[in-house]
Amino acid sequence: MAKWKPLERMDFLGKAYPRVEGPDKVSGRAKYTQDQAPAGMLYGAILTSPHAAAKIIRIDDSKVRQLSGVKAALTDVHPTGTVRYAGEEVAAVAATTPEILADALELFEVQYETLPFAVDIETAMKEGAPRVFADKANISDARVEEEGDLEAGFAKADVVVESEFRTQVQVHTPLEAHGSLAMWNGEELTIWDSTQAVHGVREGVANALEMPINKVRVICQHMGGGFGSKLQPGRYSAIAARLAKQAGAPVKLMLDRKTEFLGVGNRPNSIQKLKLGAGRDGRVTAFSAITYGTAGIGTNAGVRLPIVYDIPNYRHEHYDVFTNAGAARPFRAPGCPQAVFSMDQIMDEMAEKLGMDPLEFRLKNDANPARQQEWRIGAEKIGWAKRNPKPGSDPGPLKRGMGMAASIWWPGGRGTQAMITVYPDGMVEVRCGTQDLGTGTRTYVASVAAEELGLEMAQVRALIGDSDYPKSGASGGSTTAPSVAPAIKNTAEKTREALAEIAAKHFGVSPAQMEWQKSTITVKNSPAKKLGWKELCSLLDTEPLEVRGEWVEGLSSAGVAGCQFVEVAVDTLTGRIAVEKVVAVADCGLVLNRLTTESQINGGVIQGISYALFEDRLMDPHTGTMVNSDLENYKISGSIETPEIEVIIYDEWERGVIGVGEPPTIPTAGAIANAVYNATGVRLREIPMTPDRVLLALAKKS
Amino acid sequence: MFSPIRFLLNRREIEATEPPGMLVLDFLRRREMLMGTKEGCKEGDCGACAALVGELSGGEVRYTPVTSCLLPLGELAGKHLVTVEGLNMQRLSPVQDAIVSEGAAQCGFCTPGIVVSLTARLMEKGAALSAEDVKYALSGHLCRCTGYASLKRAGELVIRDAAQLGSSGSPSENIALMIAGGMLPEYFREIPERLRKIQFPSSANGRQKPEVFIAGGTDLYVQRGETLPDMRVEVLNLHPEMKGVFEEKGEIHAGALTTFEEFAAHPLVQQAIPEIRSYMHRNASWQIRNRATLGGNIVNASPIGDMTILLLVLDTSLTLKNGQKSRKLPLAGFYKGYKQLAKKPAEIVTEIVFPKPSRSARVNFEKVSKRKCLDIASVNSAIQITAGERVIQKVNLSLGGVAPIPLFLRRTCEFLAEKEITPETIVQAAAIAQQEISPISDVRGSAEYKRLLTRQLLFAHFAKLYPGYVIVRELLESGLIT
Repeated sequence: MAKWKPLERMDFLGKAYPRVEGPDKVSGRAKYTQDQAPAGMLYGAILTSPHAAAKIIRIDDSKVRQLSGVKAALTDVHPTGTVRYAGEEVAAVAATTPEILADALELFEVQYETLPFAVDIETAMKEGAPRVFADKANISDARVEEEGDLEAGFAKADVVVESEFRTQVQVHTPLEAHGSLAMWNGEELTIWDSTQAVHGVREGVANALEMPINKVRVICQHMGGGFGSKLQPGRYSAIAARLAKQAGAPVKLMLDRKTEFLGVGNRPNSIQKLKLGAGRDGRVTAFSAITYGTAGIGTNAGVRLPIVYDIPNYRHEHYDVFTNAGAARPFRAPGCPQAVFSMDQIMDEMAEKLGMDPLEFRLKNDANPARQQEWRIGAEKIGWAKRNPKPGSDPGPLKRGMGMAASIWWPGGRGTQAMITVYPDGMVEVRCGTQDLGTGTRTYVASVAAEELGLEMAQVRALIGDSDYPKSGASGGSTTAPSVAPAIKNTAEKTREALAEIAAKHFGVSPAQMEWQKSTITVKNSPAKKLGWKELCSLLDTEPLEVRGEWVEGLSSAGVAGCQFVEVAVDTLTGRIAVEKVVAVADCGLVLNRLTTESQINGGVIQGISYALFEDRLMDPHTGTMVNSDLENYKISGSIETPEIEVIIYDEWERGVIGVGEPPTIPTAGAIANAVYNATGVRLREIPMTPDRVLLALAKKS
Repeated sequence: MFSPIRFLLNRREIEATEPPGMLVLDFLRRREMLMGTKEGCKEGDCGACAALVGELSGGEVRYTPVTSCLLPLGELAGKHLVTVEGLNMQRLSPVQDAIVSEGAAQCGFCTPGIVVSLTARLMEKGAALSAEDVKYALSGHLCRCTGYASLKRAGELVIRDAAQLGSSGSPSENIALMIAGGMLPEYFREIPERLRKIQFPSSANGRQKPEVFIAGGTDLYVQRGETLPDMRVEVLNLHPEMKGVFEEKGEIHAGALTTFEEFAAHPLVQQAIPEIRSYMHRNASWQIRNRATLGGNIVNASPIGDMTILLLVLDTSLTLKNGQKSRKLPLAGFYKGYKQLAKKPAEIVTEIVFPKPSRSARVNFEKVSKRKCLDIASVNSAIQITAGERVIQKVNLSLGGVAPIPLFLRRTCEFLAEKEITPETIVQAAAIAQQEISPISDVRGSAEYKRLLTRQLLFAHFAKLYPGYVIVRELLESGLIT
């Protein structure tokens, strides 16, 4: 099995260094899909349904087509003719300016037959509620996971705690909206897409347009955030391509902020009824959960329970509930922040009933050896021993408290291909059809190659974000780094082997006699027979060397443990929670770049705070649409709300590369809720923990 | 159709014939193909579109960062618009370099706007740039990827570089030092001279009657941004006589076009409302405060307008003008119903006047919103209390978000007059206030919650202003409040 060289011999990996495209980003030169503007480009837009459920009876685009400046229109973009959420695609148009486009959207005459709808989970679950799909019940069949003997487990328990928790629908909210620019050259189609998967979009568009895959090329050089919402091809890409074809000109179709909120993904909500049993000895004996979640018209609204802790007997019964809302999409650690929010709170409730310190209780029930260490490290860093011993005992209106919660994640690496080209002048290009969401992929494509070839990063050019490059998967689920880095290393190793053969031939020896020292190659035991990198490459004469490689086992791992501790201050006069400090202990394997890794962890924590305190998709049960579909009303965390975040990287480089994107966003909400309880003596079982919920809960307590 | 608008865009002089109501963001990205200025939310919330506007005043050019997604093109006449491209030099500027080396750009979409705002703060403060200034600059920017820890670190590096400027002076002196130190492109040196040479007509509409007046545009463009480019707009900021703060006969006068930032920075205002800057910090980002005007906030008539709620307790009156005709009206009598004003359509609010608070008066403003800063309040409230030893002489109390209009609570104020400041008095006053309001349940909270907040904010006011008399801790222990 392949292995990384020891950390102490690394020039780049394990260290902190700036991203390669940094200068482009700070100068405004980095071009995103939104910034593409080829000559003659038209602007495209999608007309979406204002109704949460309706049959499309008729669409008339004759007035649209008469408008001067309109170059293409489509009335057949909806596959079935029955829309199931407000914001679903109904028609599309392309025009020479955005102003004409706005007018054109008003000129579509659409006759709908509106249908009854259910936009929230409670309504959809009621007996006799309007069905989202005529042929399916709103509530799915139960999905059951179980292990051990639940009854026996609860029978053994000395203490049983039951609690109900709720989490909200969260929307990904990348700063760059979803969208595509489609350009035809004869029968060949090029799409610039703000995507997490250039190859995936290529396949999706080729399928949707029934085109041969080799006629479609998808490019994404820079993209303004995705967090899972841009993993899959969107209808807008194929729509842009069809508009472009009809108009005979490139079409750029970026979603507006409202459509972005309504139609391209979200994190499902949850209703979770939990029961936990434990013995006086502090060992959990049994756990049961009944959970519901809505992924809108989609599925997979699951909550990953039980999570983290070592539970001998459990049963989890889950139901997906259809509602007339946009389908969920994977969102940073799907199913996990919801699960940890409830699990780590019921663990705290149990610890209190048992009269145990929550830390001690966790250590007793957590089988993961890494997390056993991490809990202790985090507790030490936050000053757990100095916490408020009795919940709510701070005098005065401002109350402080501490809480903790766990993190976990599973996926590792998978098949990725790459190609390295070495030019006679010694310069190197690495091609890989992955993409950089800003997580630093482009940078480690260069640094892993430079590390293995013994070069400076400036000698290596990383070429990614293009489906013309060797195939790599979607960037999601923290799989990118463990997929791509091993493929680059493998390709670089093979490049060295190919160069060694060339050098061997030059010296008239066998390749096995060649020996590398950084980028210099020598014939073993003949120090005079040596070639520096430039001399070696010059042997290529005029033919660049091209070498392909792929993901191999041994260089990456799956399975992540982590934890977070937070300190909050709750203003009991106003109900406002201020997160004052977060200690994030993250399990990282071989760190490819300490700077981008820490950036990722910081960002995950901030999204977790935002999930815990601010974000909430609010649906109007009367109109059937979202009432806060803009950044003025859907608030995400800003710089002022961001506390001190101490990132502790628990790295075990021998494990190889592990993805770090998902885990840091998992524990934050649960840890904050536990800290709020410690501060006030009031447990908040629903997020977001807004001032109104806090204040009303405090009022109820007294 | 439209009179040309002449201004400087980065290094070049521009003559734009686009509509004056067109958004500067659209002009940059569509006509000038300057793609470093990003479109994020188009509501002034994310800051990805931040640009600098330089204005000649008293012989120097003063630059302020604004969100170009809420800025009408007509506003630029005779000014210098700077985008991230206009800050680029052969090598990275200290701000750019710091962001790269600290890894403070992740996806990078928000980054150019942040470069613009941090550079603006550096121009403003020179060698005196502090960590507070970095926060100030970042206030109007959202980052969804890595967040703000690395940006704050990058700020530290910029502070270190700024210290090398040696001294800090006026913005124009800072700019000269920055040019000399290679922190700003050379062409900035020539800008004052070039701006002086640009002539511009006072109204971009020529003689046609305007259909709509735009002050700061921070509400107007959010509410009806799509229609404004097609309309004959009158950019009020081209009327400098409606700007500025001065004192006359014991009263403070502020032009209706005075921005939040100008108002809060004025010594007279700081004397009258000592905590004004901290309130402002909560209410809007620096980038929005540079545009939002007092008059605009009042005329927008949001029941929860932060500035209106504050001005309500200062016994503010408004001057309204219609051509040569002018009249005065108390602010408390300006609102007739939801978004209904005691104002004729052709009348313009030109001035805000309030008496200087007496020495025994104390003013406080409280606001509760989902996100602590830069969010629309669930309930906001201001109070002005004039009191002698323990006894209240006069109280002005306002509440936002609890009625169709920004509410002045007359009955509660009458009750409190001549009462002793005790916890019991406040409990009674809160009960009256809760009857005086008519909150509805909405996105920002339930009616029940807003009633509860009304009481809590009244306690918060007294606790802050008279900490010796009203000790929240004792209130909590007494069981009078929770």
